[in-house]
Amino acid sequence: MKVILLPIQINDQSAEPLYHQIEVQLRALIVSGQLTEGTLLPSIRELAQTVKCSVITVKRVYNDLEAEGLLRTRQGTGTYVAKVGELERDRHRLSAVIEALDQAVIAGKRVQCTENELETMFKEVMNKYYE
Amino acid sequence: MVETNAIQFTGVVQNRSKFRLGPLNMSIPKGFITAIVGPNGCGKSSSFSLMLDLAKPDEGLIELLGQRLEQGPSVDLKKRIGYLPEESLSHENNMKAAAKAEFYQFWYESWDVNRYRELLHLLEVDDNQLLGKMSKGMRRKFEFALTLAHGPELLLLDEPSSGLDPLAWKTMINILHRYMDQGDRTILLTSHIIEEVKRLADFIVFMDRGMVLGMYEKDELFSSWFTLFVTGPDLSEKLAATMPGQCGVDHAGGTTYRITTSKAAEAEQWCAREGLQLVSRQALELDEIMSALLLQNSLSTRLNEKRGI
Repeated sequence: MKVILLPIQINDQSAEPLYHQIEVQLRALIVSGQLTEGTLLPSIRELAQTVKCSVITVKRVYNDLEAEGLLRTRQGTGTYVAKVGELERDRHRLSAVIEALDQAVIAGKRVQCTENELETMFKEVMNKYYE
Repeated sequence: MVETNAIQFTGVVQNRSKFRLGPLNMSIPKGFITAIVGPNGCGKSSSFSLMLDLAKPDEGLIELLGQRLEQGPSVDLKKRIGYLPEESLSHENNMKAAAKAEFYQFWYESWDVNRYRELLHLLEVDDNQLLGKMSKGMRRKFEFALTLAHGPELLLLDEPSSGLDPLAWKTMINILHRYMDQGDRTILLTSHIIEEVKRLADFIVFMDRGMVLGMYEKDELFSSWFTLFVTGPDLSEKLAATMPGQCGVDHAGGTTYRITTSKAAEAEQWCAREGLQLVSRQALELDEIMSALLLQNSLSTRLNEKRGI
């Protein structure tokens, strides 16, 4: 089976722990259906090499996502994308969005935005994309 | 018991007229890549000599792949190890590369001639040459191929990439990653090249003046060391110095300070508690972390000397 390349990018200047950055992106790829059931993921060492982190971090990501039921590991053959139910898909669908909003608010607080300012900005961005 | 350490140093001391190594205590985990970094003369290569039983420790115990070195390693143990020394051996200058390969083949039953050929091909090395006639990089690539061709469980690489051009370097990194993909294998390497450590290592060991300063998981290390620009109306140099993990404070103008910390997460919580604004954050590079650790080490050594410890 062909191993795919994962479009995962990390930001090593971010306060977000590395494993979390990778986890959020990989979860989004699975839940959005971009990675379909049965897809063979890169080995832990391969993924660590592409995103330039240690195997310990990747191992943690794979373990977490396996515990969530998004991945399954078959001894000796590798890690695969598991079947994602409708319910789970819905539950996870919004997690990346909430994550991004979180980051936006943190960035705002860092430069001392007021709640009103943030709301105004949020509406402006909404208008830009939902016209 | 499951043996999880490929290498174990327990209270190892080696006294020489001008250098004392140790006491060294370190455990190199099996299945991972560990990089030793440190300034010249920190004891990296001496530790390798001890592991290979080329020199004996005055005190302490060394275990390799679950076997004690006390009585000298058996030939069988050495067959499970691949060692790439820092310097090539000048007495081999008049030897043809292929002849050295034959010598290796004689000693290692697990020698895989196809693997050897494949490595030479990947690294673009012709072994029909005198070792002394090869360029430094070419000879390095050849020695590297030799180290791997018998499929060792443990690789000891002393400055593996010295003399390699960027393309050969990349090939070497890829070969090492593929080597690790086969499971229960371990690499211990020394390196001065930051990018190499970043790309390869899972764990980083810092050494200085014959001592281990600490061993860290790579991602944890890089996510804990940050330089923070912090500002606040009441922020003073004195307050800035109380930040958790503080390793240096610089005045950045006004009431803004640049503070280096080894505990970024705690430091940010501290800023929030103290009502301070975080203006920006920047991750430290490996060399910056190393100099901060060395500085701490030399300060505490001097302090202990003063106290007569």
